[in-house]
Amino acid sequence: MAIFMGNKVAVIVGTSTITDHVSTVSLAREIDQVEITAMNDTVQNMIGGIERPTLNLELYNDFASASVNALFEDALGTKLNIKLIPVSGTVSATNPSYTMSCLISSWTPVNGAVDAVASVSVSLPVTALTKSTSA
Amino acid sequence: MIPSTVRTNLKTALQTITGMRVFDYVPDSTNIPTNNAFAIVGQLSMNYDFTLNRGFDSATCQVIVVVGRMSEKDGQSRLDGLIASSGSTSIKTAIEADKTLSGAVQTLRVVSASPGTITSANIDYLSYQYSVELIG
Repeated sequence: MAIFMGNKVAVIVGTSTITDHVSTVSLAREIDQVEITAMNDTVQNMIGGIERPTLNLELYNDFASASVNALFEDALGTKLNIKLIPVSGTVSATNPSYTMSCLISSWTPVNGAVDAVASVSVSLPVTALTKSTSA
Repeated sequence: MIPSTVRTNLKTALQTITGMRVFDYVPDSTNIPTNNAFAIVGQLSMNYDFTLNRGFDSATCQVIVVVGRMSEKDGQSRLDGLIASSGSTSIKTAIEADKTLSGAVQTLRVVSASPGTITSANIDYLSYQYSVELIG
């Protein structure tokens, strides 16, 4: 593997590939910092706490049956399985997949402007995350 | 997005304006009309990777419309109808009537129309240059 462009990420919601409606995608993995600084410490001390990943998507909306809007708006308040593959194609040790369960905590079905395509920007909390090198 | 299909379908859309003669390529030469207008669908300016994994691209297409001599009052009147935002002779209305161009693109928008001149045989002709944004 070498340096690669980030423009071939596969985005799969359930069983639907919506890659051609996505302009930006990012998965941020963050761990809570839990302070355990004691009286005898001279520098703050930390341990890692629970992970709080977030999936950010910039999407072009589409009201077609089973397309972007139906997938997300129908799942509002519930969880969706979403899979990302850094470079669309075969999953491997150098191209791992990230499969996650995301709470659809917000959705913007209507977002109009005179000079822009209808788009949606969402930041979804991830409630389960698996990294795989084989599927 | 297949550029040749886009140009062909833009030509078809423009031909819904009665009397409009349309080229979907830049002609070597042509007779400037004296009693109507003609349009040239120009080449596409492509911007690749509008969405991920080669999903869709965006492009801008210039459409040049020529009506008649600068000094001709009728030509100026015809331009009024062509640059109107609505009506049977409106170029914006004709192009945006089917925003997918029969499925050739996802969507489009006629963004602007700028006045100018085209010189042929040492005669200045009234023209307008339209900018059409396409995604597909």
